[in-house]
Amino acid sequence: MGDYIAIVILVGLAAVICGAMVSLSFVLGPKNTTPYKQSPYECGVQPLGDARERFPIKFYLVAMLFILFDIEVVFLWSWLTVFKNADLAYQTFSFGAVMVYMVLWIIGDAYVIRVNAIDWDETTSLHPAKLGEPDPAALPVTARDLELVGGAR
Amino acid sequence: MTTFTVLAIVAVLAALGVVLFSSPVRSAICLVVNFFVLAFVYFILNAELLGITQIIVYTGAIMVLFLFVIMLLNLGGPQAWKERREFRTVLGFGFGAALAGVIASQLITHFREHSRPFADDGYGSPQAIGRVLFTQYVWPFEVASVLLLVGIVGSILLAKRKL
Amino acid sequence: MTGNNLADYLTLGLLMFSIGAVGVIVRRNPVVIFMCIELMLNAVNLTFLAFARYMPSSAPASGREASFMSGQMMVIFVMAVAAAEVAVGLGIIMAIYRLRKDVDVDEMNLMSG
Repeated sequence: MGDYIAIVILVGLAAVICGAMVSLSFVLGPKNTTPYKQSPYECGVQPLGDARERFPIKFYLVAMLFILFDIEVVFLWSWLTVFKNADLAYQTFSFGAVMVYMVLWIIGDAYVIRVNAIDWDETTSLHPAKLGEPDPAALPVTARDLELVGGAR
Repeated sequence: MTTFTVLAIVAVLAALGVVLFSSPVRSAICLVVNFFVLAFVYFILNAELLGITQIIVYTGAIMVLFLFVIMLLNLGGPQAWKERREFRTVLGFGFGAALAGVIASQLITHFREHSRPFADDGYGSPQAIGRVLFTQYVWPFEVASVLLLVGIVGSILLAKRKL
Repeated sequence: MTGNNLADYLTLGLLMFSIGAVGVIVRRNPVVIFMCIELMLNAVNLTFLAFARYMPSSAPASGREASFMSGQMMVIFVMAVAAAEVAVGLGIIMAIYRLRKDVDVDEMNLMSG
């Protein structure tokens, strides 16, 4: 545990500095609030609709593939710390094992690219309209939205 | 109060928060705290690689996925449903208390005397794990990579409607 | 870090496991149920690690290392399986949502005979 004291100090310093920045500016800063200042955007349009909008599914696909490739990297990390200083028998054997592993990884990667799972282009990817869901942008404007727009003028 | 005691109290409180908060976003944040604290418990156990893996995989990646799903399905909105209070809630907490009581009284008392670490201090370093993982455990390692491949294909098939 | 004994870690693992089990029974939101399952998996991981560190084995001196590495190997593979499980499980929840527009587990009784 003694080897990690530097990291603990780093984490502590980061916490202190960030906490000081946020809390001191909150305590010391001048405050005169107006309703206009309290709105989500101070300069620009009035917000329309709800902030809790449904996300497109492509965010989910990217996050999910990130997890799976993330855990594959963890396995490789423990390998590369040993590989350099190990004996020849270990090096040859584990190299073969890791190559089999990498082939499986590349198959997965090729599949991901083949089916355009992480393709950000909405014409080939997962625009909500293509999923049979109503597109939030295409919905008719509600009376409340109109009222908000009118309030801005 | 040792470091472990503080971490354990925080972990248990966060675990309770996961169950008791009715908003799924708050449950997810409590789960992040729990996993993060648990990583430090792993560090106290000298399992360094696993502690870092816990932070990278659980608090870094899995929790992002949970929050994405909550936002994708819009489960955290103001119209999130009420958890009904019914007999099952009482039954559930009674069952949990009974489970904890039985295991605590029957098993944990037997391990009171093991206060001296048995494993070497460096048993959890990346080097020690890498040495064993690619010799003795190479077959489970390859099977795990096949499992991850199946996970990639399966989750794409489930999440994408049109391939 | 001395002063802890095995029973402390096991108690923490037991509490987390029990709370996770209660959550699986009590909650109706499938995403939260999934979180509680993750909580239980982590409690088991902690138990594996505590035994790996503290539990003396009756193995001979040559098998001594194998006895405390096996717990850690188990935890690594549990983490790998949990990652795949979360990706596929959340995909299933989203597919159900897409079919039914509702993810209340009490309403999912299509397979209850």
